[in-house]
Amino acid sequence: MRPIFGTTKSALLLLAALVFASAASAQPFKEAPALAELVKAGKLPELSQRLPVTPYVEVPHQSVGKYGGTWRMAVLGGGDNYNFVRAIANENLMRWTPDWKTAVPNIASSVDVNADATEFTFHLRKGMRWSDGAPFGADDIMFWYEDIFSNPQLTPTKPPIYTAGGEPLKAEKRDDLTVVFRFARPYGLFLQQLANGFGEYPTLYPKHYLKQFHAKYNAEGIPKLLAENASAKDWVQLFNSKISPNFLNVYWQNPELPTLNPWVLTNKYGSVERVVAVRNPYYWKVDTAGNQLPYIDRVTWDQVNDVQLALLKALNGEIDYQLRHIGQLPFKSTLFDNQKRGNFRFFTVWDHPANDAVLLFNFNIADPIKQKVFRDKNFRVGVSLAIDRQEIIDSVYVGQGTAAQVSVRKGNPLYSEKLATQYTVRDLKAAAAALDKAGLDKKDSEGFRLGPDGKRFTIIFMVADVYGLQYPDVMQLAQRQLKEVGLDVQIRATDWSRLTAMQAANEQEAYLWNCVGGESDVYTDPRCYFPFQTEAIFFARKWAQWYGDHATGEEPPAEVKALMAAYDKVNAAVDDAGREAAMKAFLEASAEQFFTIGIIQGPDKFGIAKNDLKNVYDPLPQSGSMWGPAPMTAQMYFDR
Amino acid sequence: MKDYILRRLLYMVPTVLAISVMAFTIIRLPPGDYLTTVIAELSASGAPVDSGTIAALKDRYGLGDPAYLQYLKWISRILLHGDFGLSFEKNVPVNALIWDRLGATFGISILTLLFIWAFAFPIGIFSAVRKYSMGDYAVTFFGFLGLATPNFLLALMLMYVSVRYFGQSVGGLVSPDMIDAPWSGAKFVDLLAHIWLPVFVIGTSGMAALIRIMRANLLDELYRPYVVTARAKGMSEFSLLLRYPVRVALNPFLSTVGWMLPTLVSGEIIVSVVLSLPTTGPMLLRALLSQDMYLAGSIIMIASLMTVLGTLLSDILLAWVDPRIRYQ
Repeated sequence: MRPIFGTTKSALLLLAALVFASAASAQPFKEAPALAELVKAGKLPELSQRLPVTPYVEVPHQSVGKYGGTWRMAVLGGGDNYNFVRAIANENLMRWTPDWKTAVPNIASSVDVNADATEFTFHLRKGMRWSDGAPFGADDIMFWYEDIFSNPQLTPTKPPIYTAGGEPLKAEKRDDLTVVFRFARPYGLFLQQLANGFGEYPTLYPKHYLKQFHAKYNAEGIPKLLAENASAKDWVQLFNSKISPNFLNVYWQNPELPTLNPWVLTNKYGSVERVVAVRNPYYWKVDTAGNQLPYIDRVTWDQVNDVQLALLKALNGEIDYQLRHIGQLPFKSTLFDNQKRGNFRFFTVWDHPANDAVLLFNFNIADPIKQKVFRDKNFRVGVSLAIDRQEIIDSVYVGQGTAAQVSVRKGNPLYSEKLATQYTVRDLKAAAAALDKAGLDKKDSEGFRLGPDGKRFTIIFMVADVYGLQYPDVMQLAQRQLKEVGLDVQIRATDWSRLTAMQAANEQEAYLWNCVGGESDVYTDPRCYFPFQTEAIFFARKWAQWYGDHATGEEPPAEVKALMAAYDKVNAAVDDAGREAAMKAFLEASAEQFFTIGIIQGPDKFGIAKNDLKNVYDPLPQSGSMWGPAPMTAQMYFDR
Repeated sequence: MKDYILRRLLYMVPTVLAISVMAFTIIRLPPGDYLTTVIAELSASGAPVDSGTIAALKDRYGLGDPAYLQYLKWISRILLHGDFGLSFEKNVPVNALIWDRLGATFGISILTLLFIWAFAFPIGIFSAVRKYSMGDYAVTFFGFLGLATPNFLLALMLMYVSVRYFGQSVGGLVSPDMIDAPWSGAKFVDLLAHIWLPVFVIGTSGMAALIRIMRANLLDELYRPYVVTARAKGMSEFSLLLRYPVRVALNPFLSTVGWMLPTLVSGEIIVSVVLSLPTTGPMLLRALLSQDMYLAGSIIMIASLMTVLGTLLSDILLAWVDPRIRYQ
């Protein structure tokens, strides 16, 4: 069993941090030798001028470290932006504790929440600076709020995590170091959302740099800038080519952009063979001994075009710490054999999706017969009972993993054995009975079930080979297993883009995908548990649209609306206990609806780290919305 | 001759235009567009993709326009300003991206061509002259092996060997510690230590084919009466061989310029992906996968243009060398 929701533990950590913080402020801060030389040469202000008055004190995982070294990684030639994001960019107003259980202030030095979770007051750090030395403060957050978030051209629709009850947040500057966010409805999950990956919006925009590209501040200068920049037609395009709120490639192609990250980019991803980031001399975190972080001088990513090459680099000892691309099960034995040669060790990664292979039937399919059958819970129960999960696990996933539904993992306080294991044991008789009840009680001469219209009931499954999860193989086994209860499943192999296009047009009947939300990330991302959002998991696109905005999509039946209301209660809860209770009730109700059919919860993943790299978290928790290991990388150091 | 070249140049205009239409159509054939890729990547990273972001991107990249309008905009900018458009993914004009890489691609291709010639020429002659000897069988065996082994497999095997047994860093054209270094003698030596691998890998199959062609052509010539006559006149065997039958059998070497260029460029794609070379290959593949259409279209276009030019060049060379070729 894993330590659960470590409230006492994190409280202790916080206390320790506070004690250390006061201790740290008593002693003078120290900096990396390279920076000290720059200061001596007069090229950089003194450390006391660069650090905030009260820097964030990071408690090292193992020990206070030493300065120096280069952290080497491999990055794919394109579309691998999150390789950078997850390594060096996760500085938000809030952050997760290293055990990913509690959201605590990060850029903010503290936060006050009012009684009904509608008003959040953030206190910023005095003297904090962007990576180019310009001061960071409430004005930067207000720049985001007034000129980006509230600008219909730059933000045509508001990102959902900054809205509550369909109303966007309202920000107000109280003084240079205090900002208040207000919501129309209680939004108890807001601080968690801010600690998640996309909580970076408010603190991403350096006003002093970006205002030159904004029509409101530089209307006269923009035509000249546009003339110099062939790729932009108007100021909106120009602005969007300088920064991307979603950390899309643009963000990694603008080395001029000041940031609050531990390392700053020096060249452009995509057009160079090696991307290099160097230490941010204005980074605002120190260790418990008062040393300014990060310890490591540089981070480099060698561009490769194939994951096999990343593997070879690892074998050759050319990678110091990496889990992305390297941490695949099929690579493990090769890596294991070469540990000595590459001088590295393994660490465990707790990347726990709610399920690795999920059958998703489209409830909003246009065909009325299929729609009726898919919406019938008996049908889904029948399908689930007909699947032999152990066979799939044994033959596709080499015996690694657990048969389970879409559910929170064992060890999490939200875990419920009933929800995780319902209908997972194969029972052909019960499956047949359930399918009969769903209106598929007649069979044709070949033994296939007929639909209510008297024609053979055929389901077309779209299968794309993504994430290295071998979906085509899984589906072939499932197809055979479902044939045993008389279900005719046709497999259509496809690729990711085709599938995305089909989903956007609401054309798919059913497909196989994975589901996030296996740990506490289910609070903020329950997309597999009810029709929650529209752009990633699709089993009821129109209902999800309706949930986001009642003027769009299609009004769902009462029981689905009840489920939506149950999730709204989670959001409205103000304290942790109330939130947990509401979440449990929601998960219970979701399992009762049984929208999605899970097959397997995969085993732990892994990464590799050089033997002399210290302060490496093992196990390392991460998920789709919790961008590990970025918050813990500034404290890593080489013991050489 | 002048008319011939002029006429061929004129033919190129509609060919290239047709190619541009084809290139543009092909890159638009797969469902979805660059935004589909963005959405897929965002959701893979667990990010909440909101429709606002997507709408903003759509507008930014002009993806809402009808296809013919997109094509017209693209082609007119190329013709009028030499501007190949913007790479969506890399956020820089295509012009700023591809020339370095095209340089590397053609550098490797030309080196490979020279490598192929340097080996295929003597080996081809040898195996024709010493037909059915042990040497011929050995060369033929290795030739077929080279022809039959897929390039990428050979690349993977050689890479594994050089990592496992020689401890050499693989991937790229220079060692990791040289990437950021300015050009110098040491870097050039380092480049030579790396570039043989792709040249060898891409060269093998082409070389095998050319050896076979050379051998077959030369065998046709070797027993012609003019050879017998020359021999009867007492000409030395070596200079006889080089002066007459080899010269006639040389035609395929020249025509290879035309058909080798596209094969090299396309063979180079897979090998470059495997070896992570800074050439157009991996960039084209990535651009096609992510539907970065202007980048993909421009690379296809330029590669096709080079092929058309290569064909022209080889035709002119052939016409010049072989008087039997008529200018019609």
